[in-house]
Amino acid sequence: MLKRSVSQAGDDAWLVYEQIILAALDEGQIDLAKSVLFILDTRFKDSQRVKRLSGLVMEALGHTDEAQTLYTEMLEKDATNVLASKRLIALLKSQGQIPLAIRELVTYLDTHGNDFEAWLELSHLYLSQHLYPQAAFCLEEVILQQPANHYFHLHYAELQYTMGNLDVALKEYLRVVELSTDNVRGFYGVKLTADRLMTESKKGKSSGNKKDQQSNRMDNVPQQATLERLSELATERLVSVYNRASDTSKKTAEKWLKE
Amino acid sequence: MTEYTISLQAYAKAVLHCAKYPWATVHGLFLAEKKDGKVRMVDAIPLAHNWTQLTPMFDVALQQAQVYAKTKGWSIGGYYVAYEDTETTQLSASGTLLARAVSAGSEGVVAFVIDAKKLGPGSAQPGLVPYLNVDSQWKEQSGAFSGAKSKGGAATFVLENNRVLASTLKLVAERADIGIHDFDEHLDDVTLDWLQNNALSERIRTA
Repeated sequence: MLKRSVSQAGDDAWLVYEQIILAALDEGQIDLAKSVLFILDTRFKDSQRVKRLSGLVMEALGHTDEAQTLYTEMLEKDATNVLASKRLIALLKSQGQIPLAIRELVTYLDTHGNDFEAWLELSHLYLSQHLYPQAAFCLEEVILQQPANHYFHLHYAELQYTMGNLDVALKEYLRVVELSTDNVRGFYGVKLTADRLMTESKKGKSSGNKKDQQSNRMDNVPQQATLERLSELATERLVSVYNRASDTSKKTAEKWLKE
Repeated sequence: MTEYTISLQAYAKAVLHCAKYPWATVHGLFLAEKKDGKVRMVDAIPLAHNWTQLTPMFDVALQQAQVYAKTKGWSIGGYYVAYEDTETTQLSASGTLLARAVSAGSEGVVAFVIDAKKLGPGSAQPGLVPYLNVDSQWKEQSGAFSGAKSKGGAATFVLENNRVLASTLKLVAERADIGIHDFDEHLDDVTLDWLQNNALSERIRTA
């Protein structure tokens, strides 16, 4: 059946073969993948695309050293080979060699700086190594390329909050709620950051302690009045959304919102 | 020396949370009932399976969980985490920070790393590695649940009864994990009850 449908496909057959290999690998049918790979290898000698597929088969068989050698060779011949780069990075990542994976991904991004998904991947790799400022830089690149996507602003807001930059976090959370409707995470974020900024600036003012005032190093903190109105807005939107919630969550959320 | 008991509800929910998101790092809280110097983990509140190193929603969830616990006369007794990398049972740097945040609101909080290797049918012990906060450092209590006194003799850990492991395996096999909803899911759909997971609790009770 396979042979019949493939001969009907004509030149598209080669694409189908490639997909069969990928599907077979996903399903663990490595022998099938190998036999189809042989067909492609016979037709397309010395093809980068076929080489990458054979690398995938090696990975599936657990021959990671062979695969790594293959990808490295491909990159030595052509440093801009996208297929080889991505496979090498994925391989290093699966082996837990995160610092090396980061190095390779940075090299890849030097040439392919408009691949925002790669920047996102790099951000996650940095995060796993607790390198927060580097992760933030990568997310900024993603946002530059995808400015209307609220998900990335949300990710960036949460990272900035984690880093203690509440003023930036608040700004980004506001962007999130601007770009999407009644975004619960967004409004929780607005309320959380606005409330904390209000508390911290009160602390800074009431203690005559210079150290406390200096520790409030954030540059773009809005005025108290603005913070209060933002907090109220977030509360109002959350209450409205929670009207649909189940009892326990609703009661608990409302208690939290009132504090 | 404190005696910690882990109930079926707490253990099963934590394991089901992992089962629902096997590719991700997941974490959550344990609710504790304290009586006569003994601590019983009565339930689990699953928190997140995404962006688990980022803290804002964790802060919101923790505060709400504390409000909820108080209404039942309980406290937040534990923090559990299962890492994406199943080889490690070491509490990570961010795990330490989060466990410390949980400790700020309660006394005697225990951090648990879930040991994926001990979750299968062949395991005679629960897949939980407890960490106690001793002198501002989280120390692993190796050998906990083995019946012997844990290293340092600071605490003993037991499961509620000898059916906990079998019941949990059964629930996982029955795909009961579909019924668990964490705070991440709640943020996408506020009608989901992340604090109690009532329907699942009932199913666990009758397992």
